Formats: sequence, structure tokens, C-alpha cells
Amino acid sequence: MASTFKTFLNNDVAQTKTLLHEAIPITGTLVSGTYAGTYGSEGHIKNYSHAMFQSVYDYPHASSSANHIFDITFGYSSASQFQNATSSQNTEKMQIYNQMAQVLMGFKTDGNLRAFDEDGNLSGGNKIYDAYFINFSRLLVKDEIKKGSFSMTLLSDNAYEAAAGAIKIEDTNANNEYKVNSPAGEYGILYANALTSGRSFTTPDGLSNPPIGLIFYQAGVVVLPMADTTNYSITPDGPSNQIFTSNAEMNSTPGDEYSELITGSTIQLMADSLRHRIDNITFNNTTELNSSIYFCRANHNDFNYSSNPTYLTGSKIMVKEKLTDQPVSYITSIGLYSADNELLAVAKLSEPLKKTPSTELTLRVRLDY
Amino acid sequence: MAFLNNSGDIILDAVLTDTGRYRMAKGDGSFKIAKFALADDEIDYSLYQNANWTGVGADGAHASGSAYYDLNILKTPILEAFTNNTSLMKHKLISIPRTNILYLPTLKLNALAGARGVKGQGALLQQASGTFYVATDSTTEGTTKLGGTTALGNAKWMEGFSTPGSVIRVDQGLDTTEIPPSISIPGDLKETQYIVEMDNRLGFIRKPAASEAATPSFIDDDNIASYYFTAGSDTDYIGDVPFANSDQVYVAAKDVIAGPRGTSINFSLGASIQLQTSTFLFTQLGGTEVISGVSYYVLDTIVRVTAATLGRSMTIPVRFIKAV
Repeated sequence: MASTFKTFLNNDVAQTKTLLHEAIPITGTLVSGTYAGTYGSEGHIKNYSHAMFQSVYDYPHASSSANHIFDITFGYSSASQFQNATSSQNTEKMQIYNQMAQVLMGFKTDGNLRAFDEDGNLSGGNKIYDAYFINFSRLLVKDEIKKGSFSMTLLSDNAYEAAAGAIKIEDTNANNEYKVNSPAGEYGILYANALTSGRSFTTPDGLSNPPIGLIFYQAGVVVLPMADTTNYSITPDGPSNQIFTSNAEMNSTPGDEYSELITGSTIQLMADSLRHRIDNITFNNTTELNSSIYFCRANHNDFNYSSNPTYLTGSKIMVKEKLTDQPVSYITSIGLYSADNELLAVAKLSEPLKKTPSTELTLRVRLDY
Repeated sequence: MAFLNNSGDIILDAVLTDTGRYRMAKGDGSFKIAKFALADDEIDYSLYQNANWTGVGADGAHASGSAYYDLNILKTPILEAFTNNTSLMKHKLISIPRTNILYLPTLKLNALAGARGVKGQGALLQQASGTFYVATDSTTEGTTKLGGTTALGNAKWMEGFSTPGSVIRVDQGLDTTEIPPSISIPGDLKETQYIVEMDNRLGFIRKPAASEAATPSFIDDDNIASYYFTAGSDTDYIGDVPFANSDQVYVAAKDVIAGPRGTSINFSLGASIQLQTSTFLFTQLGGTEVISGVSYYVLDTIVRVTAATLGRSMTIPVRFIKAV
């Protein structure tokens, strides 16, 4: 009996899962220096009237070519020493913190909000009550940030314009030490390393690369505390696990120092200040690719003839001169069909593939979801 | 020791068609891949340079031998996949276990004036333009319009509103004079199922010379309705190609298949409610034509007939017509 379809058997379909990683480099010039405009209102920076966060694009955001890279915002807890009714955007900053904590850390058994924890050990240790939040776009993060791949270099020198005092913030050894006690998926601890002689970290427990923040891999959120989480304050020179010293100038206007930033500046100005200090960010994203592989088996006696109109002259087969010649056909397309003969997916070969009764082929067709 | 030849195992990335995405979005389990087919839409087998070759400067087989017969075919560039489910996989490869076949059946439209339908219906209708005319309302069929003019020849149009008196007929068989028509076509070359596809917005398939509409098997996301007809079950539509007379010989005035005959599919067309009652699609997709001084809206489309098991297909041009 002639046929044009071949039914898949149970062993003709296989499922696979592949993790794809892409390197995402975000240079400091892209974040803070590429596009013209007054600092804080450059073309690729989008500020909102609600002033709750600032968005960074890779191109002037009014253009359809622009891609959203990340958002920056800042928040503090009601338990923070900086919380004060007179502080700039006090309500909004608490709202941001509570929102991020609710999503990323969840609630305690007593129903109260759980604060961010410096080392991920929720039963004790230092808490993070105020922090920058860098929320990376889904476009970059895809399914998640690859553990152990995150790196961010900040310029922490006290002078605003000095390209010095570089510190590197990484999720070192996150592949083995990530935490799973968050309702928003897995997260790792960010550690700081001084890259230049301008900065050094000496913490009370003697760590030269102290924990300095958190990274939530599936959520694509980086949490960077402002204050020293050991002392819950911003100190001049340390002992410290804070990113900037209290004397660091965070604005071109003299007097806008780090210690004054939290209480005296809007979220937008704080975002501008952090952007100005970002030298570079890199990470690898992860895409979880689920595939079905269909093994299209063309046995020796399958698919040797064609219904192509050029295959016949009258009714005579063009590629055969006499009865005993082998039929020949050339495959260019593979169609995957439903039981009711609807074409659901199609794959194309790069060049015609010869099929004769003396050949058998297995064409593996992969359909990704 | 040489490397193993791994060319027999190829990995290809597939793309979902619009219908595939549509079914997946429905989420009702209708997206289930059950079978596959192979096709050679881009291949021109007339480039196969064996002794049958009739190309430019044709002098038979390639001088360098049979290894060079398909040199030009293998150089054929292949197009990327379209995602429209009706735009590709037009010419499927066929599985027939035996290899001693020199002739394959073809499909031919039998529009000869002398031919009679399998079921005894009237002669088929076709214009010189090669298009079937289908009237879409009673006014158009009336005596003041198409019914009263001889400009289209004697009744060379089909009633799409009232009960049609004629059929579209497609014959299947071996169109060769090297095998007499009295020889029975082999069972594995005799088509037993046909798929008829047409734009469901414009019209529908009806029983031959009857008003009863056929039920489409499914209508895809592009409004293409597919009708499946099976020999033995749909005897109103499918039957053996009849002989013009009892001599069982080929009669050129009535037969389009010169050799052994297979089956014949017959059907009539009806105009959709929208074409019957509105000129919207005519003005949007069609134009106007003047016949014997009378203006008509016209809308051209195609009806595609596919032999389901042997894969061959043909498109039949149809022109829906409506008095202005």
C-alpha cells in the first residue's frame, strides 16, 4: 500500500533539556557615559513621574531599537536607622524595601516581613535594612543568572570623578553555596574584593572579602546594602563591609556625600549616583531549552518516489529509464503532522538529500519549547 | 582506520507553523505530533540528466555517466521554512515497497465536453480561460443574467446558489499509451482517499449535482477547509473512472487518462452565505467583468485536490461571479 505519511512509534520521540548560557557584558560607559545629556536625564535613562525607580536602556529609550537593561531603585526598612519622616521619599523608600522583601524573602512564621539577611542564615546574623536593588531585565536574564558568573566592578574612591578605588563584587563559589530558603528561588552571597590600593576591607571578623550583598538568580535581582551591615551605619573608613566610605562624594555638587545620600536624596538621585560608580557588570544568563527530538526514520523502502509534478512525464517516472532501475527521490523538507494531517511544524534541509532503496536515513528533527 | 560515515544521522531544527502555534495556544491537547512526511517542493526532476532528459540541448544521458545524472538537482538551493501550514509540503515523497514501478498515476481534470460524470451528471463546465464559473445568487443565475446569455457557452457555469446541475471531475490513473486502459491499475497505485481544500469564506463542497453540503474535516487558522473523501464510504463522490464505451479503449474526446484507470472524484461547489448576500469580499479581493454587456463582480480562488495516499495534487481555478 502506498503512503505519504509515516507514524511515529514510541521510541521515535525523545525529550531533552539543555541549558544555554550567554555572556552578558554591561560596560560602565553604556550605563553612565555613552549618550549625551545632563547626567541623570540622558537619552538612555528613563525616569518616571512616580519616582520609584530608574530604568537604564542600551540606547535612547524613545527609540524602538532600545533594549531595557535594568532598573535601579533604593529602599530601607522601617527598622533602618535611616528611616525618618523627614527623609527624602521616606514612604517610597520603605515601600520599595517592603515590596522587594515580600517578593524575595517572604514572611516569617509570625506573619511579619522577613528582612534581607547578609549571609542567608535566616536564624541569625546581620540583616540588611537598606539597600540598592538592581533589577535586571528578563531580556538579559532569560530564565536565570548563571550561578558563579556574576561580577560587578564599582569605583569607590571618595572623589566623585576619580576612576579609582575599584572594588569587585562577585558571587564567588555560588555554585556550591547558594541558598534555597527564599520564596523567589535560589540566591547567592555577593563578596567584595578590593582591586586597587585605594580601598581595603577589614571587617571585625577579619575578612578581607566580606559579604556585601545578595543576588537572586531566578528573579534577576541584585541587593547591595548601603550601610555596614555589622554596625548598621555608614562609617568613615571602616572596619567596614560597606561599599563606599561615608566621605565618598556621590554627586558633582560638593557636600553630597555618601553619608547624606540615604536620607537627603531622592531615589532617582541615588540611582544616578550608583550608575556613576559602575565600571562594569558581567554575568552569564541561562535559558532552559526543552526539546522534543523526533527521529524520522526513512527505511530502505520508504519515500523513494515523489508526487512532485516534474517527477513524471505523462505518467512515466523521469528518473527511471527501465523497470529495473532504482527509483530516486530528493528530500528537502520534513513535515511534522497531527493525527488529522494538519502540518504543525516543519524543518528544512540545507541541500537536497538523495533517497534510494539502497539507503536508510534517520533525520533527527528537534522542536524547542 | 578511517572515520565512520555519520552522514546518515542529521539533526534539523523545526519551526512551528501558524497552525501549530494556534493549536498550542488553544491548550486543548490538539497539538500532538503523530506522524511525519518528507517533501521535495524545490526539486525539478526534469534536471535529472539520464536518457529521459529533454532539457536544453538535450542529447540524452550525461556523458560522464550515471554519477552525474543528478548533478544539477543536488545544487538546488533550498528555501527556509515558511510558517504558513498551507504553503509548503506541497509535493510529498511516496512510500511504495516495490521498486519495479516505471509509471505512477497522475491526477487530471476531466473537463471534456463529451465526458460524463461518474455518477451520470451533466458535462463539466469550463471557460476558455481555464476557470470554473460559479454563480453566487439567484439573480446571477436568473434568465436576465447568466441564465439568459450564451456568452459563456451552453450552461458553462455552475449554480452556487441553487442545486447545481454539473460537477467538477478529477480522474486518476496512468496517463500513458504504453499500457492499454483495459489493464487494471495495480491496487497499490489506485487512490482510495482524496482531500479537497478550499477557502471556507468563499464557498463549500457539495455532493455532485446536488445541494447537500459536505462536512469539512477541519478548518484551519487561515480559513482553509479540508474535506476528506474515502472510496467505499463516500460513494457519491468517488468511483472508478468509467470507460467512454464498452470497448474499454481510450476515447480522446471523453478520456483524459490514456492508460489504466484508477478512481475519479466528483464534486460541486456552493457559494458561501457571505458571497450570496454581500459584495464585500468581491470588492475587497476581486474585481468586475462584463459578459454580454452585463457587469458582474468576480472573485478568483482555487480548489486544491490531493490524492491522500499517493500524494499527487492539483489546483483547480474557480471564479465566483455575482451580478452587479
